[in-house]
Amino acid sequence: MSSVSAVFVNKRTEIERVVELAERFGEEHQLPAEVVMTVHLVLDEVVANIISHGYDDAGEHEIHVTLALDDSVLGIRVEDDGRPFDPLAAPPPDLDLPLEERPVGGLGIHIVRSVMDTVEYQRRGDRNVLIMRKTIGRN
Amino acid sequence: MDIFQSTSGSVLTLTLKGRLDADGTDKMAGLLAGYIDRGERRLVLDLSQVDYISSVGLRALMLAAKRLAPLDGRIVLCGPQAPIRHLLDVAGFTSMFSIVATRDEAAERML
Repeated sequence: MSSVSAVFVNKRTEIERVVELAERFGEEHQLPAEVVMTVHLVLDEVVANIISHGYDDAGEHEIHVTLALDDSVLGIRVEDDGRPFDPLAAPPPDLDLPLEERPVGGLGIHIVRSVMDTVEYQRRGDRNVLIMRKTIGRN
Repeated sequence: MDIFQSTSGSVLTLTLKGRLDADGTDKMAGLLAGYIDRGERRLVLDLSQVDYISSVGLRALMLAAKRLAPLDGRIVLCGPQAPIRHLLDVAGFTSMFSIVATRDEAAERML
């Protein structure tokens, strides 16, 4: 298994670095473009959500991200010290509602759950830990 | 995100090129709002050169469609690549938008 880790802080400008991490990981492992997009998308959704909604204070916080590849299983782990938040507790959006009645929120975690095979949430001490896995096709 | 525009009759086509991430979406949403303010009601978004979309971009598309609906306007999404098309399906866009493969089909949907 090989992995890379990176630390982001809770600033919106960090999202650009999330893309770089996904692309670097993709290059190192020669992952197909679609897998790189999935990694980018998942990190974008999860990290942006933490930055926007995770903290009760205005201070600087670290968000720890680890990407791992074990044979054909992609693992994405995101850990933050924000307020307790279990994204899996949100009900899935009702996709059958007509446009006028569809709420515009709640899509991010729904997308993450859809593009990954498994998503687990744990509260460990004062930290949120989100562990996501997906079996991928390799080039 | 680069955005090119063309007009054919009453239909305005915006060709989006790049990522519909937070920054790209800001640009698209600003333009869309401006065009709707100006009275445009028939919009085709050519997504064939979009290689990324997140929930931020999807939300902006929904907001624009919601704004147009009571104005008797509509947005047709055209030519998304397979991964983007998959995300449109995941987000339930099939029931909210016309999604077509080509610009010719998009023009037909506007008749």
